[in-house]
Amino acid sequence: MFSIYKKELQSFFYTPFAYVITALFMFLFTYMFNSALGDLERPILQFTFPDIFYNVIFFFIFLIPILTMRTFADERRFGTEVLLMTSPVSVIQIIIGKYLANLTVFLFMMAGSAFFPIFTHLHGTLIMNQLICAYIGFFAWGAMFIAIGMLISSFTENSIIAAVIGEIVMWIFMFIDDFSRTDFIMQFPKLQSVLYAFAAQPRFAYFSQGFIRLSDLVFFASAIIVCLSWNFIAIERRRWKRG
Amino acid sequence: MITIENLTKYYGTNRAVNNISFTINDNEILGFLGPNGAGKSTTMNMIAGYLPMSAGKVTIFGSDISKEPVAAKKNIGYLPEIPPVYPDMRVREYLSFCAGLKRIRSSERRDEIARVTKLLKIEDVQDKLIKNLSKGYKQRVGFAQALLGNPKFLILDEPTVGLDPNQVIEVRNIIKDLKKEHSVIFSSHILSEVSAVCDRVVIINKGDIKAIDTIENLEKKLGGSLTLHIKVKGDRTKASNIIELTDGVQEITAIDAEGNDFFAFAVKLKEGAGDDTKNAIMAELIKRGIQISEIYTEKPDLEAVFVDMINKASTKNGLLDLLDEIKSETENGSEAEDEPEESDEDEEKEDAE
Repeated sequence: MFSIYKKELQSFFYTPFAYVITALFMFLFTYMFNSALGDLERPILQFTFPDIFYNVIFFFIFLIPILTMRTFADERRFGTEVLLMTSPVSVIQIIIGKYLANLTVFLFMMAGSAFFPIFTHLHGTLIMNQLICAYIGFFAWGAMFIAIGMLISSFTENSIIAAVIGEIVMWIFMFIDDFSRTDFIMQFPKLQSVLYAFAAQPRFAYFSQGFIRLSDLVFFASAIIVCLSWNFIAIERRRWKRG
Repeated sequence: MITIENLTKYYGTNRAVNNISFTINDNEILGFLGPNGAGKSTTMNMIAGYLPMSAGKVTIFGSDISKEPVAAKKNIGYLPEIPPVYPDMRVREYLSFCAGLKRIRSSERRDEIARVTKLLKIEDVQDKLIKNLSKGYKQRVGFAQALLGNPKFLILDEPTVGLDPNQVIEVRNIIKDLKKEHSVIFSSHILSEVSAVCDRVVIINKGDIKAIDTIENLEKKLGGSLTLHIKVKGDRTKASNIIELTDGVQEITAIDAEGNDFFAFAVKLKEGAGDDTKNAIMAELIKRGIQISEIYTEKPDLEAVFVDMINKASTKNGLLDLLDEIKSETENGSEAEDEPEESDEDEEKEDAE
């Protein structure tokens, strides 16, 4: 498992990949940060990082699929899946190794974003509690999207298709709560409550307001577990069905 | 020892591998021979534990590949048809990663990588990106991967494809050397390769085993009739009469020979006839004053065995064939039933008239 983790990290960090995606992430973050500063009005010079995070997770729709698109698609394209499957490692270990590697790159991206709070701290005051909560929510959100992206990557051997489908699915996840609050859906309260149960955005909102609720953590953790288990099933299923 | 019992693979309703069984002994190289699409790669993928089998059992040194995959896979080195290499990695990184996958202790990795790179002569490309290597080098990197950790059982799927003639010979010699410590199954559609390297051969076509035997036995089985090629100078009719009348000659064919006064014949001998017949022909020709300028015996080669085995009428393959068979039988049956009815109608018509 560790060797798969290490190999994945090498493929991210020995190539420009991890740096380019982090640079892109920081560029987008700067843009949001800058517009937050631009909105400042006297006499209270105040803005909140959670609001910025709120905007930044929107960009995850585009960034996370790019991170995860190659995870399994490339293994199939290069025929290296055979190598993994015929080595004395189990499919579960392969999935966890790859997941942890993707998560590490994501942490690297988050570390990049820490530049902005530090910068603010140097020139003003920072509400630490709220920031930490927002970061936890940020991490949970990313971890869930990575699991979804990896799952989609295991469906195809074309990484571009994996990225595009990933973007669509993540877009749905992002806006399902808006959708569940439309007049049309409101007519069917039961459907509305089912759809709303899948909405991740309101749960992130709690984090960004400084609440850590067990139910939200359970939501993200179970989404991750479901996606990774499905990933396992998808890989095994394809082995059985191949032909 | 590796045992393969009743291994079967269906792709949908199409049977790719049909109930095959064989064993690979310790320190043996088993050739796995068949035309393209015979089911070689499918079988090897199943033995290596990549594809699940539809039915059957593969046991590798006592571990069932389906029930204890991790234990079984520890003893396997597998080189698939397409070398499983990451184009964006350097050769050394790649081998180090594979060594990790195979759970080689990090203290031993360096030595192990040095050993396989030396064996396959890829030391000078160790720091190159795999995508920049030629096909032959990629193949050898893939082979090196299979040898890492010195697994007892090696599965090599067409290991010499894409290599130049020198490399082919090198790789064959490596495979021959491997016999000392390993069991090897080695697939190919090239006969000369199999006969040069292997102890025993499994011939497979359309998923069915056509033969399992040593190469000598296969040659014998074909009938063992030899062909003499004789080139003589002198009277052509006289020579052909002498040869035809010798005991043990089955058939004589005249072949065009270059040069005046030279005549050549291909003489097919009867089964079991050999040197005695040859000596008798020679003695008789010389006695009658005909000069022999060339004479040699040709054995039936493995190529002939192979073609013969593959072209043997095969049993029905796959469900679809079986369904077709049943369908045609029922159609025939219904036709048979139809006939009397028609005749009834005819009779009725006749009656009407």
